[in-house]
Amino acid sequence: MIDSLLARARGKVDNADALWRRQEQTAVAFESGRLKAAGISEEAGLNLRVVANGRMGVAGTTAAKPDLEALLERAGASAELGETVELAFPDSSPASLHPIPTYFDRTANASLAELIRMGKRLVERLARPDCQINVAVEREIAETAVGNTAGARGEYRATGIAVAVDITRIAGDDVLMVYDQYVGADLPGDADLETLVRSVETRLGAALKVVTPPEGALPVVFTPAGLSAVVLPLEQALSGKTVLQGSSPLAGKVGETLFDNRLSIIDDPLTPGRPLSRPVDDECVPSRATALVEHGKVGRFVYDLETAARAKTQSTGNGRRGIFGKPHIGYTNILFRRGGGGTDGVGTRHTYALGGGLIDDVDDGLIVDDLIGVGQGNVISGAFSHPVGLAYRVQRGEITGRVKDAAVAGNAYELLKKIGGFGSDGRWLGARYSPSLLLEGVSVARR
Amino acid sequence: MKDRLAAAVQQSRADYTEVRVERTWSSAVAFRGRRLETATVSEDQGGFVRVLNNGCGWGIASFTSLDELPAMVTRANELSRAVRLEEPIRLADIAPQTADAVLDLDGDVRGIPLADKKSLLDRYNTAMLGVSDLIVDTQASYRDEVSEVWFVNSEGTSLYQLRPEVVVSGTAIGRRNGSIEKGLESIGLRKGWNSVQDFEPQFRVVAQRAVDLLAAPRVRGGAYPVILDNELAGVFIHEAFGHLSEADFVYENPQAREMMTLGRRFGKPVLNVGDNGAASGLRGTLPYDDEGTPTQDTALIREGILVGRLHSRETAAKLGERPTGNARAISFRHPPIVRMTNTYIAPGKLGAGFKDLIGDIKLGVYACGAFGGQTMLENFSFTAGWGYMIRDGQVAELVKDVVLAGNLFQTLDRIDTIAGDFTWNQMGGGCGKGGQFPLPVTEGAPHVRIEEALIGGDV
Repeated sequence: MIDSLLARARGKVDNADALWRRQEQTAVAFESGRLKAAGISEEAGLNLRVVANGRMGVAGTTAAKPDLEALLERAGASAELGETVELAFPDSSPASLHPIPTYFDRTANASLAELIRMGKRLVERLARPDCQINVAVEREIAETAVGNTAGARGEYRATGIAVAVDITRIAGDDVLMVYDQYVGADLPGDADLETLVRSVETRLGAALKVVTPPEGALPVVFTPAGLSAVVLPLEQALSGKTVLQGSSPLAGKVGETLFDNRLSIIDDPLTPGRPLSRPVDDECVPSRATALVEHGKVGRFVYDLETAARAKTQSTGNGRRGIFGKPHIGYTNILFRRGGGGTDGVGTRHTYALGGGLIDDVDDGLIVDDLIGVGQGNVISGAFSHPVGLAYRVQRGEITGRVKDAAVAGNAYELLKKIGGFGSDGRWLGARYSPSLLLEGVSVARR
Repeated sequence: MKDRLAAAVQQSRADYTEVRVERTWSSAVAFRGRRLETATVSEDQGGFVRVLNNGCGWGIASFTSLDELPAMVTRANELSRAVRLEEPIRLADIAPQTADAVLDLDGDVRGIPLADKKSLLDRYNTAMLGVSDLIVDTQASYRDEVSEVWFVNSEGTSLYQLRPEVVVSGTAIGRRNGSIEKGLESIGLRKGWNSVQDFEPQFRVVAQRAVDLLAAPRVRGGAYPVILDNELAGVFIHEAFGHLSEADFVYENPQAREMMTLGRRFGKPVLNVGDNGAASGLRGTLPYDDEGTPTQDTALIREGILVGRLHSRETAAKLGERPTGNARAISFRHPPIVRMTNTYIAPGKLGAGFKDLIGDIKLGVYACGAFGGQTMLENFSFTAGWGYMIRDGQVAELVKDVVLAGNLFQTLDRIDTIAGDFTWNQMGGGCGKGGQFPLPVTEGAPHVRIEEALIGGDV
């Protein structure tokens, strides 16, 4: 499909690149502890970008037998209105691609009955009379082909599986929600499912008692899940797009130490076993890791082909594209690491203790596991302010109960200048790997 | 197309079968700063099958290849039979519906050259950029679509719906040294080209606000009397209460049913709340939902008392209530689930004005505009675009980072005055639930006063 499309494009436009992707999902859903639905979804689509007379245009289609000539025509019409750009289409041969496992037979071949068994096991392990439990198991198999008129080609198959558990406990007018998930390219083993069960049980168990929230500028442990509000501003500010547009507070700061010098963050598309890992990006650029923050110093920003061309730099292999619209910058796997030694890192065994061993010296503070409304507001400025979704009070080094009706606020860039501690509980959460972080001086307001 | 769907439904061996096919024509233009990002025309199409068998669960299939329709009906039936259920799923009765429902296109977007759409958005984007040198970046986007939806089920319902939509939105980013602020304008309508022509003043206003916020202090955290403007009051009722009224949250959960018992008091007698999918010309408006149920105006809170909830056919049957036409899917890629349409706080009957709300507040916050909201049912957040302090009954200085922390049982009950100045807020964006985002919805409200609400920030 890609080859015949690019063959047609040659001669008609200056350059072109394309992506074809086919995805097949199988999902089972348990609602209130009962298996309620099973579903499949199949989708295939083709996305084409052209540069014609120096101008860029795009078009996409989900038609089963796409009319390639019509697609080319639509991309051409888009290019007539488009901006000029000189894209450096890669011309590497497939041999130079990094071989990484993205496709796991066990995942691809898992039967519907196996997916159901997996969900059922979680339901049985976590059933409690006072709780409602929903479990969703979703398996995806995808084939991707990318190519361009400069001769580069990339093809790979990938598998992914997500097992999500959410528990709602309503007691009188008190609503408690606990959520966790396993996400991987390979099927979860017994130990992975057990980790999920223990993680949910631990957070549920510590949440049964409700206590009064504290107030003031306090030490707060952000769990891997709770960290989102702190990570999101960095993700936006480290994107080559916001740097190019002049809206990133980190623009012009490469090499400056702006964060705690133990903090390192990388984007790594070559991490084995992750669903977003890939040998090549959606613009045919070979994958490689990018150091975003190194020992507290601002490292490299991430780019796709277009932003790289405009910023006069190289793509970092962070091009992502859907079936419709043009390629854009997307992160792959983001890993938080403690630089300068220490035991954190991928593969470290989980500790089930909430707070990752960081609460011993906290006299009065919080563990924040979930905040409400993350991503809304003026994210890139670093300022955040959110009611707690799931948080625990810590007094004299002990968790004393769950807090409600409290709001935490701070500035991500300020808080990350001095990290009070890195937890021993590093784990994957979707596409992010991080331990808990203890941050000092977080504003906690209460009613 | 209806015949093709009917044939597929007819050959189904399942007890209940429904087929939905969509074909969506859309175009999109986006600017970032002074540069055009894209101008494209797209066509997306696909189908969805859902079947049910007695003693079994739902079997679901979605696909982009319509040639596969008969095969997908068979697959869905196999999937349903793989799900054994002791307590069967029942669907509340709905009389078979047959209709071609074509909403007013108000200037069919399919006939307008892409270049004209680019020029329109260029005007709005330039309006934002022209406000000040401190506006360093903008994001402006125009998107329109005309979606054709066919729905046929095995009970004799056969529908064709034509649904237009147009969304214009802009974000202006102001920057002075290290501080960065934004202003956001978004207009979303279930209409066409004619309805989005004259919005330059609004785009200038949001860019100016981004500049003004650069000099504004952060709001201090704490509990305050709060007045919500119409837009934020709409987001508030959507998050604070709307999601709780979706029956899929309560129908399988005895404790939740008890908490949400009809007849329970949730607010003072001034509070009236509803959801109206049949309202004329709004973004959440649909003649029929995605199960073929006609939409309606559903009262949820009347004079402070819980009187109703939003249903699909399944949740209505389970609770012994009537379907309300709230089963919606964002596209053929998803099953219909219980969702809001156009949710509102009715205007106060006493005809109170803004002065009546603010007059006796010594120290409070006037929270305006909305960047968004999210709920975890009992607790929820709603993020204002900007705010003002209220001092001695007057609107005082501009403040930023105004995020309200709400509690279902406390915040609703503390609404003590509702103004008469009701408006529908026709915003773009949409609502997200169960992985389905963005669903077009509208919210409507007058100015609303909350006696006391928690605002996050330094204390």
